[in-house]
Amino acid sequence: MIELKQITKQYLGQAMPAVENLSLSIPEGEICVLVGPSGCGKSTILRMINRMIEPTSGTVTIKGEDVSSTDSDQLRMGIGYVIQQIGLLPHRTIAENIAIVPRLYKWPKERIAKRVDELIVMMGLDLEKTRGKYPSQLSGGQMQRVGVARAMAVDPPIMLMDEPFGAVDPIARNHLQDELLRLQKEIKKTIVFVTHDINEAIKMGDNIAIFDAGKLVQFGTPEEILTNPKNSFVENFIGHDRVVKKLNLYRADDAMQPVGCLVKESDLQSAGQRMKDAGTEVAFLLNEVGQRLGHLTFAEFEAGKGDLEGLRKKVLRTEKAFVQISTSLPDALSLLLEFDSDYLGILKGDELCGMLSFKDIRKHVYRKDGE
Amino acid sequence: MSWENFRFALFEKAPEALFEHSMIVVITITIAILISVPLGVLLTRPKYKGLGLVTLNVLNVLQAIPGLAIIALALPILGLGMKPAVVALLFQSLLPIVRNTIAGLIGVSPDVKEAACGMGMSQRRILLEVEIPLAMPIILSGIRTATVYVVSIGTLAALIGAGGLGNLIMGGLALFRPEYLLVGAGLGAIMAITLERSLSYLERRITPPGMRVS
Amino acid sequence: MTLKDFLNFLNKNTETIIEYTGNHFTLVLSAVIISLVIWVPVGLLLTKSDKWAARVLGLANTIFCIPSLSMFAILVTIPAFGLGRKSALFALILYAMMPLIRSVYDGAKNVDRSVIEAARGMGMSTARILREILVPLGMPIIFAGFRVTVVMTTGIAAIATYIGERNLGRFISEGLIRSNTPMMVTGALIISVIAIGLDTILGLIEKSIVPKGLRINR
Repeated sequence: MIELKQITKQYLGQAMPAVENLSLSIPEGEICVLVGPSGCGKSTILRMINRMIEPTSGTVTIKGEDVSSTDSDQLRMGIGYVIQQIGLLPHRTIAENIAIVPRLYKWPKERIAKRVDELIVMMGLDLEKTRGKYPSQLSGGQMQRVGVARAMAVDPPIMLMDEPFGAVDPIARNHLQDELLRLQKEIKKTIVFVTHDINEAIKMGDNIAIFDAGKLVQFGTPEEILTNPKNSFVENFIGHDRVVKKLNLYRADDAMQPVGCLVKESDLQSAGQRMKDAGTEVAFLLNEVGQRLGHLTFAEFEAGKGDLEGLRKKVLRTEKAFVQISTSLPDALSLLLEFDSDYLGILKGDELCGMLSFKDIRKHVYRKDGE
Repeated sequence: MSWENFRFALFEKAPEALFEHSMIVVITITIAILISVPLGVLLTRPKYKGLGLVTLNVLNVLQAIPGLAIIALALPILGLGMKPAVVALLFQSLLPIVRNTIAGLIGVSPDVKEAACGMGMSQRRILLEVEIPLAMPIILSGIRTATVYVVSIGTLAALIGAGGLGNLIMGGLALFRPEYLLVGAGLGAIMAITLERSLSYLERRITPPGMRVS
Repeated sequence: MTLKDFLNFLNKNTETIIEYTGNHFTLVLSAVIISLVIWVPVGLLLTKSDKWAARVLGLANTIFCIPSLSMFAILVTIPAFGLGRKSALFALILYAMMPLIRSVYDGAKNVDRSVIEAARGMGMSTARILREILVPLGMPIIFAGFRVTVVMTTGIAAIATYIGERNLGRFISEGLIRSNTPMMVTGALIISVIAIGLDTILGLIEKSIVPKGLRINR
């Protein structure tokens, strides 16, 4: 989709080039994150795509067409552009701000109005309350939503985002990230996303390109980068908790195993035998009407054999140790610790579809590491 | 003081003087705006940025020349009448407008310009739709300063035959007629204060609503 | 008019020039000193009350709008003032109100609140805060106001020739009446040179008193 070929950008009076001999191919319909410490050239690269900066040498092509042969204003009208400082026009209302690019395209008024309303709603803002307001009347998070809406106004296939959520508070940032990911599932834009925050990169990126001093150090999926950091720079940049970060990439269903043994409350005394028969170390207990009560390990059963009331109490202590299938692994891990439990029951809707233990998580991460 | 003299000054002399004075002010300020605003715009374009400082310094020096001196210097060079007066006043009314135009345009947040550029707005469009509207209140405040100045020094234009309220005052001083002094001086003061007030009202009105908060 | 006329005039009238210049400067100097004594404390006081600040600044602004010839003319008709130095001085002090009060007020208000907060938090006394923070940080703005006042006063003082002051403005007024171009132009040039010179010198001082840390990006 976007192809950078042997791009070098040398600023006058600077010893080192800001970007050096970079070749990068950005796939269509995915989020590609450019990440690196400040001054590594990532913003420069982004801005060379819409010709806010011209490269010293090399070419940028979009869908095979060299951008330097296009009219720069026309080019930019067709590419969404979001910056950290947002840059909403302070003398225009929110609706007018979103309408800027459609107006450049000379859309008819009704079409613009309809699209503006659609975008305000899509961004999760209150239509009636927001439309006529001025930027200074909004919070930082709301302003950035408008910034994103403005960039998407004419539904451009490409969006360039330069630290778009860098200036908002952490809670709003999280929301904005989640919403962009949710939107992206529907709109499938080619998004080039610049950040200096590796966690944001891992969360947002289908692919991550890590830069240092104007050079591309590693390009790959978050999983690849976390699993096989290319050198010590990448290792340091992603941090020594990279395995924990890697957990973020997975959900409970990635690591869970099937439930081996379901036991009715009335059959509690035979649970040990059933576990043996099923070749599993844990049994989930259901009451007479099929409600989940909790689980019991083989070791617990053996230790408390005979004391049925004690066993039942043990089972009820894990009453809450169930999570939805979409839970991220770090959350699942945290819950395992919180419930002081060996297993979590994994639910799909209201149905028990699997279980997850410390060992499963370890095995999953280990397996990926060994690949 | 006599009522008769006062009446004569106010009803016989003042209308013409007031008209002449208004003409001086309107013509001078109109020309000053037509020169200064484009000049200010030009001097903030990247190509001509270097010239900006030089121009401002020259205008700064011109501005320091006392009004009486600039009127006196205009006479031998330009002669008598309204035209020389307008030219002399023009020199000094350029600075506040040019300076404020530059300040206003430079003051437009680079983020806003960057975003506008990134959306594909042409440089011309950015100037007309973003920079000038945002700089307008500051430009207008420069016009206000220049206007008050021209009304004030305009009273001295009578010395080189341009007429205006200065005629009444000078006449009053020469003959020591307090009635003439009061009418001429009073109207001059009222004119300056009224223009100042109206322009600052306009300035507030023209400030984009989104920027009035804070 | 030629350069010779000009030099001739300078030569013949050296004594008068010196006398007029002296008169001009005593008027300007006394006006500026009295103005500083009155308006600087007023400007500082106004920082205590926004309501009064708005009122007084509004008044100063209005006075500042009044054409100088009008101001002199009005004062002359008041018997207590009349023709002469009293009227001239009073007018000049009134004009100085706007730039001086405004700059002192802005200078004091412009100092970042958090800096004062931090200073207070470190245990600096009010006097110390005034001396070590408000004055150095606010001084450039206050000095700019002082500069405007001096240059403006020099210019307006020339107009006071029409109410009987015998200063550099007199060459212009006399020259106009007698159609004596060399006299008029010389007067205008001398006074212009003085005004520009004062502005330039004060401008240089203004630049030099900006604390180093604030000079970046200027």
